[in-house]
Amino acid sequence: MRGTGRPVIERTRMGEYGANGDTGEGAGAPGQVAMVFDLNKCMGCQTCSVACKVLWTREEGEDHQWWMSVNTQPGLGTPKGWEEMGGGWLDGQPVPGHQPGRAEFGGGWDFNYQEVFYGGTGSSTHLRPIDHGDGNTRWGMNWDEDQGGGEYPNSYYFYLPRLCNHCTHPVCVSACPSGAMYKRHEDGVVLRDESACQGARFCMEACPYKKIYFNYARNVAQHCIMCFPRLEAGVAPACARQCPGRLVFVGSADDDESPIHKLVHQWEVALPLHPEFGTGPNIFYVPPLSPSRLHEDLSIDEETPRIPPEYLESLFGPKVHAALDTMRRELARVRAGGQSELLDTLIVYHWNDLFGRYTTDPATLDRSPGRVPVRFGRSPSTPTTS
Amino acid sequence: MSVGSLTAPEVGEEALDPDAGAWDAIPSEGVPLVPVPIEAQLNAYVRAAWTGRDYGRSGPVELALARHGDRLLARLSWDGSAVPPGEFTDAAGLLFPREPGTAPPVTMGTHAEPVTLWQWRDRLASQQGLPSARHLVSTGPGVFRPVPAGGEVSARSSRAGSRWSVVLAGPVEALATGSVGVAVWAGANAERAGIGAVCATWVEVAP
Ligand code: SF4
Ligand code: SF4
Repeated sequence: MRGTGRPVIERTRMGEYGANGDTGEGAGAPGQVAMVFDLNKCMGCQTCSVACKVLWTREEGEDHQWWMSVNTQPGLGTPKGWEEMGGGWLDGQPVPGHQPGRAEFGGGWDFNYQEVFYGGTGSSTHLRPIDHGDGNTRWGMNWDEDQGGGEYPNSYYFYLPRLCNHCTHPVCVSACPSGAMYKRHEDGVVLRDESACQGARFCMEACPYKKIYFNYARNVAQHCIMCFPRLEAGVAPACARQCPGRLVFVGSADDDESPIHKLVHQWEVALPLHPEFGTGPNIFYVPPLSPSRLHEDLSIDEETPRIPPEYLESLFGPKVHAALDTMRRELARVRAGGQSELLDTLIVYHWNDLFGRYTTDPATLDRSPGRVPVRFGRSPSTPTTS
Repeated sequence: MSVGSLTAPEVGEEALDPDAGAWDAIPSEGVPLVPVPIEAQLNAYVRAAWTGRDYGRSGPVELALARHGDRLLARLSWDGSAVPPGEFTDAAGLLFPREPGTAPPVTMGTHAEPVTLWQWRDRLASQQGLPSARHLVSTGPGVFRPVPAGGEVSARSSRAGSRWSVVLAGPVEALATGSVGVAVWAGANAERAGIGAVCATWVEVAP
């Protein structure tokens, strides 16, 4: 797992803000890149997670890192119990948070291959993760997959893909004492200058989404970089491009014609996760509709959706009810033979309609080492295709 | 604080080992430490997270200095964390003013008056590839940057129970102003960056 050519992320350009005391208030990037995930189409296949893993987190100290991860809701997720770990903003003040440790993320396991395959006990020894005493074998990125909530016959679950929200008010940036973190003005991507990061991990405490990982081997924190080298080349992030469900929109919420703008601002069916955390996420979700509940005699309760609306409100805030109403209304219109621009948008008849101005096929880029700009990678390596 | 007895006599290379007998003959001084003030912490998150939380209780640090050619050697000895490291490890540092008349080291320097920081950190098993010592410049609590081409700083450590002995070695020019400061971070208390213990005034070294 070495030499994947991942860039050393350094502060390479002007036009960002960050450093001590800068809350980012009012500094929202005009060209902020945003994403919308339509949860009605997510099947939990983790292709997005693996696309990111293959591209960005294959080097030393990154085994347990999943900058993109998909969890079953309701669930404890990753890191374990992250929603209860604090952080974010409240009334303009940062909220103290808990720094998730190695055991809470779990994963990144070493297995007893030697013992099983070469130790002469292969018929009696099971393949298992080796316990190094740091608790990492008791949890993992997708540990509570498909457990969900509710009681049979009204059990329910859905999938929630998560990555850094590249927030408009990134509390992680404000919490970093060494000024290593910053938000780019040109597209609002939140980055960290790894050469300036001192490994203090206040960013991990402060981020309410707990989407920052620590590289113990290199003593730096790391998180999703929104595939910024791809964005700069007009290529959509790997998680979005690889998603077989065709449900990840990429673009600018400021562009009136973009699907993102329409979903977030016009139809208001795409909502941020935990808006009460106060950081102004730029990743949005179309909440999941669900089938009706069943009565005890197994007749259908047409009035009550299987996923409790109050649970969805706890994730996406009170606007979730209006969003679901809009979706149901549009579905009814189409079922009655009508047309719905909203549903046509969510169906995504043409794959490239997802990606706004980021439709370049990475296979068409000149990838010879001399053509890779220095800031993209460790010369002379070549980025991985994804 | 003026510690008249602290000098930096010439020693052999063996003094890079904190347990070397050479240190027995060199005078040392106990340097008391105080918490880096919470109001000096530069960002609202750190202040919010650590107000009312106990930190910076390490020290005193027994400090002795010596020279080996163009290298300054400093031996620090103090009671560290009694429990094995969790997320954070024990660490210690030497602070040097870059100009005469630099304000006391209690804030670990300021933007206007940067100070040099030689920092030693204990390492987890997964961190053995990292250097144990770093040459940094500090412009405030936890505002550390590597010093490009600042001269190599190395460290060797030993531990007896919870007591650390560490020898930090670096370019002797660091002592040009004749002053030195000490900082300690208690890993078991999640101390790091600007959350730690530091001496309130410079320690003067006899010429
Ligand atoms: S999700 Fe967390 S790490 Fe990402 S920008 Fe927001 S606060 Fe920072
Ligand atoms: S690749 Fe798409 S469908 Fe699969 S888990 Fe990720 S978002 Fe869901």
